[in-house]
Amino acid sequence: MATYIINLAILIGINAILAVTLNFILGYAGIFSLAHAIFFGIGAYTAAVAAMKFGADFAAATAAGMLVSGVISLALALPALRVRGEYFVAASLGLQMLALTVFSEWKSVTGGIGGLIGIPPPRLFGFDVSDPVLFLALTLACLGVILIAIRALVRSSFGRSLKAIRDDETAASALGKNVALLKTLAVMVSSSFAAVAGSLFAFFLSFINVESFVLEVSVQVIAMVIIGGTGTLLGPVIGAAIVLLLPALLTYLPYLPPTEIGSIQQMIYGLAMVLLMIFRPSGLWGYGSSQDRKRAAP
Amino acid sequence: MVFLQLFLNGLQLGAIYALTAVGFSLIFGSTKIFHVAHGSAFAISGYIYWWLASQLDVAWPVATLAAVLAAAAFGLLMERFIYRPIQRHEASFFTVFIAAFGVSLVIQNLIGSVAGRGMETVTTPLSRSVEIMDGLFVAPISAISIGVAILVFTALSYFLGRTHVGIAMRALSENPDLVRVFGLDPGRVAQWAFVIGSAVVVPGAIFTAMTAGLNPAIGTHVMLVSLAATIVGGIGSVRGAACGGMLLGLAENLAYWKLDPQWSEAVTFVVLFAFIIFRPSGFFGTPTAAR
Repeated sequence: MATYIINLAILIGINAILAVTLNFILGYAGIFSLAHAIFFGIGAYTAAVAAMKFGADFAAATAAGMLVSGVISLALALPALRVRGEYFVAASLGLQMLALTVFSEWKSVTGGIGGLIGIPPPRLFGFDVSDPVLFLALTLACLGVILIAIRALVRSSFGRSLKAIRDDETAASALGKNVALLKTLAVMVSSSFAAVAGSLFAFFLSFINVESFVLEVSVQVIAMVIIGGTGTLLGPVIGAAIVLLLPALLTYLPYLPPTEIGSIQQMIYGLAMVLLMIFRPSGLWGYGSSQDRKRAAP
Repeated sequence: MVFLQLFLNGLQLGAIYALTAVGFSLIFGSTKIFHVAHGSAFAISGYIYWWLASQLDVAWPVATLAAVLAAAAFGLLMERFIYRPIQRHEASFFTVFIAAFGVSLVIQNLIGSVAGRGMETVTTPLSRSVEIMDGLFVAPISAISIGVAILVFTALSYFLGRTHVGIAMRALSENPDLVRVFGLDPGRVAQWAFVIGSAVVVPGAIFTAMTAGLNPAIGTHVMLVSLAATIVGGIGSVRGAACGGMLLGLAENLAYWKLDPQWSEAVTFVVLFAFIIFRPSGFFGTPTAAR
């Protein structure tokens, strides 16, 4: 039971990193990405390959994942963000589909559908951190560092420019902000941080395959951000906890067939997204009324 | 000969894509609502047809009519109970998008729970291929889907150019305030756009059910194709969306010459990305500045 709770906590931590990083572009910059699971996956595959083929420790493997993820996000964001918001939605959905095919077809690197098996236990500066409690501490430390970094970024002039762009792009560019560049940088920061979650995930399971990076995962992360509250620091963390505790709670309902739980979970958060958008667009943790929200994010 | 075969297959798939993308483009053009739940209308009408025609042996005209009614009702209900309440307090791209996305998530899982998560096809003699030339196989369904696509586009351009509702719809896309000044109800016109835009996907959904087959996640693929075709054709241009859909269908099939079928979505992405880089305004769109 204790192991179960620790494992669940680690998964919540990893997903909280994903939600917090997606919220950085979704909530603060108003950029909508459907490909967050792909950057999660790039981080996971890069870290796994770095550890298996080159014997990298956790820090080096994570850094490699962040680098690859950042470069690929740059290639996506640079052209797509030049035009309009709808284009990035379409381009990110396209990337989600394309990258998934690459994950399952590039067998020499990703192991194809079967995935990568036998990722070595994580080592950090010579210490073995594969013990669940230590690994939970590592996950929470990563989450903490990312939260602090994002808080600092949001409060910097970079973050204020992003919020200005979200609220009124024309006005921001009239004030001399390089809108496309700022947005591209935001996507790069978010994608590199998402790769940290991927690295943690790969070392945690010591096995990864395509299943963990499908569109449903991107959507699930979006649901976490929306349910928790966009544009708030802790909202996405709470959202991640709610969404991941949901299936665990559903298993206690006696009359549900176990095969339908995944489907019911998705229906519940799909419905939650619809109802929240109609009645409380700021999410559970967000600003109280839609009037406040209008001032914060029209 | 392989080329000709792939080209013909591409025309058929392109006709289906064009029919799908046109509905999305019509709705987006006139109401400015980014209706990503459009793929759900496709899935719903496809599954209704499959259930009636293949499970209950209902005659095809009745099943088609039921599919059209289901798609139109879905569009109408979305406008009435999702988009309108949201737009009453906040009309940002973001809120509308999330709500529509949530709906498509619910529909996809609902279909999966009710009809099963496997591939479902409607068997019909029309999809049996006949060798018309040495090594060239064509099924009657190809000719039918291309013919129906041409028919629907002719009807649609007549509708948009000659009827009052059609003209009002085009007016709504250009200037909603002026529509109100002329004494028309923009909400009513928007409802028409949703009804017609959703009903137009039905032929594509039925032909897909007869050829490639349906699965609950098909809405996502339809969504990607509709978005890509709309951007490739030029946002707001119905004619452009039709051409974009046709181009994507052709590109996907011609790629089979060298690539395996699992790369079909990759081809869509490459075409979309090439347009975003080199011609962001699409075939028929007016150049749009960064917004």
